[in-house]
Amino acid sequence: MPDYSSYRRAFAEALVYLGERNPNLIVLDADTARSTGTILFAEKYPRRFINIGISEQDLIATAAGLAIAGKIPVAVAFAMFLLRGWEQIRNIIARDRLNVKLVGTHAGLSAHFDGSSHQCLEDIAVMRVLPNVTVVVPADAIATRHLIFDAIEKHKGPLYMRLGRDNSPKIYSEHDTLSIGKANILEDGEDLSIFVCGSLTELALDVSKNLKSMGISAEVVDVYTIKPLDTTTILKSVRRTGHAITIEEHNIIGGLGSAITEFLSETYPVRIIRIGIRDTFGASAKSYPELLSFFGLTVHHVLRYIKKIITGEVYAPQISK
Amino acid sequence: MTSCTPHCSLLDLSDINVLEKRVAKVLKRLERLSQETISWHIKSAISSLNIIAALYGYWIREGYKSGIERIVLISKGHCSLALYTWLAEVNIIKEEELLSFANPRSRLQAHPEAGKVPGIIASTGSLGLGLSIANGIALASKMDGIDREVAVLLGDGELDEGQIWEAAATASSLKLDNVVALVDRNMTQHSGFTEHIKIKEPLKDKWRSFGWHVIEVSNNLKDIIRGLMSADSIKGKPKVIIVYGHSFRY
Repeated sequence: MPDYSSYRRAFAEALVYLGERNPNLIVLDADTARSTGTILFAEKYPRRFINIGISEQDLIATAAGLAIAGKIPVAVAFAMFLLRGWEQIRNIIARDRLNVKLVGTHAGLSAHFDGSSHQCLEDIAVMRVLPNVTVVVPADAIATRHLIFDAIEKHKGPLYMRLGRDNSPKIYSEHDTLSIGKANILEDGEDLSIFVCGSLTELALDVSKNLKSMGISAEVVDVYTIKPLDTTTILKSVRRTGHAITIEEHNIIGGLGSAITEFLSETYPVRIIRIGIRDTFGASAKSYPELLSFFGLTVHHVLRYIKKIITGEVYAPQISK
Repeated sequence: MTSCTPHCSLLDLSDINVLEKRVAKVLKRLERLSQETISWHIKSAISSLNIIAALYGYWIREGYKSGIERIVLISKGHCSLALYTWLAEVNIIKEEELLSFANPRSRLQAHPEAGKVPGIIASTGSLGLGLSIANGIALASKMDGIDREVAVLLGDGELDEGQIWEAAATASSLKLDNVVALVDRNMTQHSGFTEHIKIKEPLKDKWRSFGWHVIEVSNNLKDIIRGLMSADSIKGKPKVIIVYGHSFRY
């Protein structure tokens, strides 16, 4: 059983620290404080916490009003249900460039038990298509802490942060530097660039380790800022390796893979293989590893897939479950 | 119909007469614009004209006299021509600028945008958002101990949006008595008569059941102002002024 830490725990604790340092920080939740972790902030700063109830559209536009009046609102909900207010995000927060931080928790397959209704595999796609919105996907709990601090204390304007649940790998240490707008090279390599974000970062590193034993040296890049892309780092990597795969716990349509493909096809076209959820919905499972296995998001599946591509057995990949 | 309080007798009629003259001029300008070049949601603009004049020409200024900062949100964004012609009438923008309406580089976008039109702090156009936004501003004001009130102009068709009722429940739950909503009850929405589309009546009962104080007035300047004055004294709950009918023939 893999050793996970918790995105939501790290996020919740960071918010409390930030609440101490930033008197204008207001946290809003849509009746999910006990799941998202904002309950910690609510208990410490009850006068700066608003439970808007199960009303995500109201959540978002109320946060907008708070920002207009000079507050720093953090609007938190399950990623899937935050998207109920996507139009509000677009039409007031993005259009008016308001300083609202939107945090979607339980994203990807992390809500493994709740099933397809709750497993948001589309949020990166629909958030990055909005002008003026910064999109960040922390790889692990420590990155979450670094990036939420950056989001609230340095960054100005609309921002969306995608978080899992209790499925965080352990990638970074407290001393590592992360800042919004950048990507980090976790491992240097010559033959293949692996671009990854979020919870599957450990998977990318495991794949790289296995490829090494096959004589392939992979460069693993944590693209934790999806918008704006750290094009310098991405371009430099692909110039070096000449080949790319992307890995994300998201639909292969519209997410990290698409973002990288869009950029490289204009500047440095290489073949890019997108690994993720193949345009399907999620499913219930009693454990998160079981669900990853079901969707082929394991080292074994990914290596088998890469081998097929190298040998030419697979050109146009089929939808697999 | 009006909902009058003893405040009525304190209405400064000379002020109101000046305002009424301005409104008449604005109406003429609107009608002229619609005949010449710009005819867009004209009926919708006309039905909101008295409300806009009451808020911008009276309510905000009265607030300053009592040390209350007052903000207006136009949630019913498509009545923008009423706002723009009003701004021209009171010389906040030049008359000529009205002709730039809906040009890509114009400050006067079809639906008002913040940072472009003077005095607009939230871009609208998408219906149903304004009440939530008003709540956010009102809430921040209470948190900061600032004496600030927010008026938000809603269309009656706009009340079809579920988010309006989410926000209505929020406003009364949080006791936002510094929010006053004004509903332009012109009985019309895009497809026609409101009650043939989605029944809104009994509207005052709906608002009351959501914990709001309800004031009903006719769509003329004096009554709307009386309504705003009577809203002043209500504490502990948000207020809605339902503005019935329209006073101009079209």
